Amino acid sequence: MTDPIGGVPFYILEFGDELVYFTPYTITLFLLALTFTVLVIISRPERQIDIAFGGDAFTTKEISLSEMKFRRFMAIACGLASMGAMVTGDIFNFTLFTAMVGITNVGIVAAVKSPHVQDAAYQYGLVALCATVPLFGGAAVYAASTGSLSMIELMKGTLPAVPLIAKAMLVIGVVGEGMAPFYAAKAEMFRAPGAPYVIMCSLSSLLIFLRVAEVVMLG
Amino acid sequence: MWGQYSYGILVVMVAAIIAFFALAREYDDFHKFLLLDLIEIPSLGVIALLGTDLAEALVLPGLTVGIAEQLALSQIYCVKEGIKERRVSRLNIEVVAIGDAPLIISILLVVYGILLSGFTGGGVAGLGLAFFFVSRGYKENLNMLEMASGISWALWIFAFFCFMFLPDYWFTALMCAAVGIVLKVTVKMSLVGTMWGEYRD
Repeated sequence: MTDPIGGVPFYILEFGDELVYFTPYTITLFLLALTFTVLVIISRPERQIDIAFGGDAFTTKEISLSEMKFRRFMAIACGLASMGAMVTGDIFNFTLFTAMVGITNVGIVAAVKSPHVQDAAYQYGLVALCATVPLFGGAAVYAASTGSLSMIELMKGTLPAVPLIAKAMLVIGVVGEGMAPFYAAKAEMFRAPGAPYVIMCSLSSLLIFLRVAEVVMLG
Repeated sequence: MWGQYSYGILVVMVAAIIAFFALAREYDDFHKFLLLDLIEIPSLGVIALLGTDLAEALVLPGLTVGIAEQLALSQIYCVKEGIKERRVSRLNIEVVAIGDAPLIISILLVVYGILLSGFTGGGVAGLGLAFFFVSRGYKENLNMLEMASGISWALWIFAFFCFMFLPDYWFTALMCAAVGIVLKVTVKMSLVGTMWGEYRD
């Protein structure tokens, strides 16, 4: 086996369809996701303050407890989905975890009662739903052209080369699902109060983007 | 085989491009949402084109994720537009509600589903029952359905025990599992057909 892009796997778990492996690269990303999930679980949410321009006046925004609980739940689910996407060794499982990151990203902000935020979340959800087409399509073309969805098999370099279109579709799908740097309206979503939870949106999309870079370079 | 596959994928890609083009021209939020449902189908088409057992196993999670995203989005849409619960007692299509058509279509689907058996058969038969309940309005209690669901579950578990401890009787176990899951999925789907909220006439 030539040296794969993410380093030599320390540990490979093959359990039926579930294939999990840890390389220096994926274990770093996994630990990052784990750390932030723990932070989300233990941290106390911020109280957002609006400052009136040109004076000393400020107002505190009221956020209900049930809203915060729902957002914390979504943020934890987002963390779990990111962790899954970091360590999975199966292309299709990776796309499913990515789609779950997309859903939970919408969920984190959807509980906010502000109309601006909800409108942005809805538009973002539409894009995420569009992105499932190239995402699953890419995975299917992977399977059609190489006959395998296992990243371990792709690493060995014995399979036929993956066509560029499959890689492109996979990347477009991931960009659509967790588009931290690409979606202008995500800034609108960040007007939602609640510091530790909103961070999870950005972090998860960053992580899945870093992982898809590795996945694309494998085959 | 490669020839058939590439023609198939060409057709699916063209369908996807047409759907995306329609989406790009649409500005109404709700219509965009409906078009997205249409766009989901080519993605399932690409997976189904693999034409192997693997494809069958991959279509199901793909479909589930798509439906989950659509349910989430429709909830956000309702909250965003301030739509409250509306009284819906049955499918409001006059032709469907009055004639005998729903009964005939349901019977056809249920019979075909039972012949198919297994997960797919349960889906088809359940769709028939769901369609029937949706079009007729619904006033029964759910005890019968719950009982059928329980029995099918027990049958399924029995089949698993058979597989594990009495592998010689695999055919009996297979039949039990197939009948169990056809009942189970049918019941689940028909319950979906009765879910129109709390308000009924």
